[in-house]
Amino acid sequence: MEEFPEELRTPPVALVSLVGYNDLHASISTHLHTEQPPINTLALPDFSKISVISKNRKERTSVSLPPVGILKRDWLLKHRTKIPAVVGALFYSDHISGDPAQWLQVCTDLENLKAVIQGRNIKLVLIIVLRTSYANNISEDRMTALRKRAEVDSKYVVNLVLDDGLQLKQSLMRLGNTFAELANVYYRDEGRRVKTRIEKKSFGSIELNIRYCFKAAVYAEFRRDWVEALRLYEDAYRVLREMIGTSTRMPPIQRLVEIKYVAEQLNFKISTLQLHGGKITEAIIWFRQHNAAYSKLVGSTEVAFLHWEWLSRQFLVFAELLETSSAAAHSISSPVVSGAADKPTEWEFYPSHYYQSAAQHLMEKRSCLEFGLSMLDSSNDVDGNVDSVVSSAYVGQFAQLLEHGDAFEMRPLTDEEYSRYALSEGKRFQDSFEIIALLKKSYEAYKNMKAHRLASYCGFQMAREHYAMSEFDNAIQLFGDVANLYRQEGWVDLLWEVLGYLRECSRKLGSVQGFIEYSLEMAALPVSTIAGPRSFKDCGPAGPASLPQREVIHKEVFGLIREESGIASNKDDSTLQIGGDCSVHLEIDLVSPLRVRLQSAAISNIQPGHRVETATCLSLATNKWLRLTYDIKSEQSGKLECIYVIARIGAHFSICCRAESPASMNDLPLWKFEDRVESSPTKDRALSFSGQKATQVEEADPQVDLNLGSSGPALVGESFIVPVTVASKGHAVYSGEIKINLVDTRVGGLMSPREEEPFSADALHVELLGISGQDESQIDNDTIRKIQHSFGLITVPFLNDGDLWSFNIEIRWHRPKPVMLYVSLSYSPQSIEPAAPKVHVHKNMEIEGKTAVEINHRYMLPFRRDPLLLSTIKQVDSDQLTSLPMNETSMLIAIAKNCTEVPLQVLSMTIEVENDEMAKLCTVQEGCQELVDPALLVPAEEFKKVFTITPELNHPKFQMGTVCLRWRRKSKPGEKSDSSTTAPEVVTRYRLPDVKVELPPLVVSLECPPHAILGDPFTYFVRIKNLTELLQEIKFSLADSQSFVLCGPHSDTIFVLPKTEKILSYKLVPLVCGFQQLPRVTVTSLRYFGYKVILEKVFDLLRIQ
Amino acid sequence: MSVCVAVVGHQNNPLYIQSFTDADDALKLHHIVHCSLDVIDERVNNPKKSGPLLNETFLGLLYPADNYKVYGYLTNTKVKFILVTTDLDVRDASVRNFFRRFHSAYVDAVSNPFHVPGKKITSKTFAGRVSSIVNSFGSSTATE
Repeated sequence: MEEFPEELRTPPVALVSLVGYNDLHASISTHLHTEQPPINTLALPDFSKISVISKNRKERTSVSLPPVGILKRDWLLKHRTKIPAVVGALFYSDHISGDPAQWLQVCTDLENLKAVIQGRNIKLVLIIVLRTSYANNISEDRMTALRKRAEVDSKYVVNLVLDDGLQLKQSLMRLGNTFAELANVYYRDEGRRVKTRIEKKSFGSIELNIRYCFKAAVYAEFRRDWVEALRLYEDAYRVLREMIGTSTRMPPIQRLVEIKYVAEQLNFKISTLQLHGGKITEAIIWFRQHNAAYSKLVGSTEVAFLHWEWLSRQFLVFAELLETSSAAAHSISSPVVSGAADKPTEWEFYPSHYYQSAAQHLMEKRSCLEFGLSMLDSSNDVDGNVDSVVSSAYVGQFAQLLEHGDAFEMRPLTDEEYSRYALSEGKRFQDSFEIIALLKKSYEAYKNMKAHRLASYCGFQMAREHYAMSEFDNAIQLFGDVANLYRQEGWVDLLWEVLGYLRECSRKLGSVQGFIEYSLEMAALPVSTIAGPRSFKDCGPAGPASLPQREVIHKEVFGLIREESGIASNKDDSTLQIGGDCSVHLEIDLVSPLRVRLQSAAISNIQPGHRVETATCLSLATNKWLRLTYDIKSEQSGKLECIYVIARIGAHFSICCRAESPASMNDLPLWKFEDRVESSPTKDRALSFSGQKATQVEEADPQVDLNLGSSGPALVGESFIVPVTVASKGHAVYSGEIKINLVDTRVGGLMSPREEEPFSADALHVELLGISGQDESQIDNDTIRKIQHSFGLITVPFLNDGDLWSFNIEIRWHRPKPVMLYVSLSYSPQSIEPAAPKVHVHKNMEIEGKTAVEINHRYMLPFRRDPLLLSTIKQVDSDQLTSLPMNETSMLIAIAKNCTEVPLQVLSMTIEVENDEMAKLCTVQEGCQELVDPALLVPAEEFKKVFTITPELNHPKFQMGTVCLRWRRKSKPGEKSDSSTTAPEVVTRYRLPDVKVELPPLVVSLECPPHAILGDPFTYFVRIKNLTELLQEIKFSLADSQSFVLCGPHSDTIFVLPKTEKILSYKLVPLVCGFQQLPRVTVTSLRYFGYKVILEKVFDLLRIQ
Repeated sequence: MSVCVAVVGHQNNPLYIQSFTDADDALKLHHIVHCSLDVIDERVNNPKKSGPLLNETFLGLLYPADNYKVYGYLTNTKVKFILVTTDLDVRDASVRNFFRRFHSAYVDAVSNPFHVPGKKITSKTFAGRVSSIVNSFGSSTATE
């Protein structure tokens, strides 16, 4: 846009002129500038300078001659800067009202001014400069005379008051308005005058028609009548278009140049007006038409470059206009009905489209310019007399400036001269920078819009420019990006071209790696053969994409790889070659077409870990997969996969293809759309693309037996023994190791979480006690490496084939619980070395721990004695402690029940009193002696033992102690019962609950002989003992029995004195033989229980003989 | 006349591209076809802008490139057809007609049991049919 003159680029601003009294010019100018719309000021210091705006007389005479140009170059500038629409003449009021000489001077100045402005119809404003004090000094006569002389209406006489700020401001406002009004009138009049000529067609030539339209349009612009201006510009443009075929005024080349220059200016004006008016769509359509109308007018071939330059400029200018136009941003979001031919498409709203086109035309221009220059005979001719060629007075015309002494003469050029001039001018510019700059703008804009393909096309063109300018680093970078896109989308021909450039850039930069990489890729590119012979005009350095070309490249690169030949590089005149310290290693890209070529090897060659398998020589046949087969001896178990395949060609070149996971290759085209014979190396297509396959290597089958023998369920408390046998049946066992694990089958741990906190290791329900061997010599300290509560690690000594080794695992259960026992043996069948592959044998067994014996107890009162225990009578709550009478002998019966399925031997049952003091206060006596022989307890049988207890302390919570039962498993009948096989003793403890010991207030006891004889009388006493210090009232009654004849008190209420006893005696004669029920005596203590019969004693049977 | 036709697959990979030009600018046409995919993407991804063309396969003028006009067509299976023509005033109707015939030729070609879907179209019959369609398109626009 900068190539246009300023007056064309900016909207016209009205011009007024100030004459006289130049002190005020500055303030008036400033004020007018701030007006809306602004007004420019041409300040003339005094009236003598007025002639600058006078009309040139000579011009008028030339009108009759046919015009020599369309638009005058300086016409617009003249109206913008030289010819005012209004002249404001400033007169000092003193001079007007002053002496005649001053008045005369005023009149003369005015006359001169009028003479000048009348020729141009310039409007006049009289400005009288006053001071406040002299405000009324000017006489009416003088003013009237002045107005008449000036021929202005009184409203165009403006008083400027200097002293008063407020009044000055008001006057300036008025002045501004007056100027604006008159300027408008002036431009309207001028426009109308020109338009009349157009309407009357009173112009001699088509050039004048255009000129008038242009002028009228400019005048309309001065008036800010944009619609009118646009219409007139379009008229001018249309007329100009008609001129193309008809005008004969100038030599053809220059004629076309002139027309294009004018068309460019008109188009610029039209586009600007449309874009600033917000009519984006119209502007785009207009531009499209403009482009269509002129793009074919190339003109003469020598100067065709001028056309392309001109066209490029059209695009560039329009792009810049579109970019600067504030409305452009808004239009993009507005809905565009696309697809219709007469509507602009999406991209036409973006400046980037136009920048790209400008760059393309500039490229065209460059090639035409080169052609034009080559047409010239010698460059000397060019420089001959072009220095004197200048732009002439008309837009788009050039002339030769001839010097004749002091005088200058403009001589028209011939077309030949003009061509030379144009070529020599054209030579001076470096187009490449310009092209790259344009493309870069476009490239970035497209990138921001995520239009990657358009962007990469721009990038490609940029890279090509860099390449042409030998800026290979820049070029490689851009080409690389572009190539990636083409690779992804599989555009073979485009990729071929880009790779050709890349290869060439690498060559010129001396990069062997790059050169080989690109060459190989090109040689592998699936170039289509169906399209027939291809000959692209500008197909880049690689030539057309064809099979023969591929072959050439292939040979070239393999020659290089095999170190048979070098490739000439531009860098330092060296050659590209491999060898010596220069070796090349290539990694194949995921999307490279090379990938498909090299996968066959990747599949059949499976390498474990970092092992390297090599094939000494590879020769690949055309269109056939080479299958490499390797014998792999698995030395280690685990995952086995091939990571990559490296092919070496020559001594210093290697190429590597990694196996990729199929997931990462999902969306890659990998040239699978290409039409070629499908020959996958394997049937599995995914595998042949990715090359990733893993094989699981299993370990050898163990040839060692691991046996867990076990004898029935485990019993809580005993140390349970699991015999383990390691028996070799074909393998020797080297560096064997046994791991033992105890796992709770339900929870996974051996402790319940709740109990884990308060207790430590004691709370373990199941515990691995240790290892014992059958032969103690085999189990030494070195063998047992680690024993924990649930885990053990044992070293197995060396075992030869056929050897046997065994040991026992001891486990103790503290609570009944099922447990899983895992035993795993790992050994190496060959050698002692730690790295040797190991073989594993696993065994497991579920063992349930069960309670062996269940212990219960029961208390019984002393024989034929019944102490009154108050707490038992009250029966307040059910869960109260058992009450025992103090100083009385009670009986405790402990019962042990075998809950298992195996017979047990009970060795002893005792009561252990925990506290020594307690032991003194309570006498415990065993009812029977220690067992001489262990008592056999078959399953579900009970073992009972009676203890007598005499507590001697009145205590509400008396600790009775613990019942200890010693027992062991009964060895099976078949087994030897020697000491080694007898199961160890186990102690089962049962803690007796606390009891309440209390002093009975009354004790009733019965005394009678152990037996009686039929018919023989015997005495039977009931002794009631009062242990309190109170008088006890006792009521008793006797129930008759038919088996006896009886005499004695039958029923009565008696008193028992404190600390004494009362005896009721009865004489009985038994009448019947056998066990007989003695007569029942019911004793009721009235003190404690009113009249209720509570203490009821049912006495025992008596055997009557 | 039309100078280039192309069939472009789902991953924007060329399935068939044929230029009918004597000038050696086939590569440039490749570029033009490739760039026009951006326009198709833009249009397909912003269906709002295309307004009433909801189920329309014909995408209309994609963009004016230099001296060419590029038209697009999107089948229901999201295969893109692209036509590059040098005629600057082509009626939409004739382009639509062209694409309709081209589409049926394409359908016939891919219905061939020996054709692997997603692969390049190599059928000579298809190429022959395409060139006859292109020729008739060229003659129909020339007579207008």
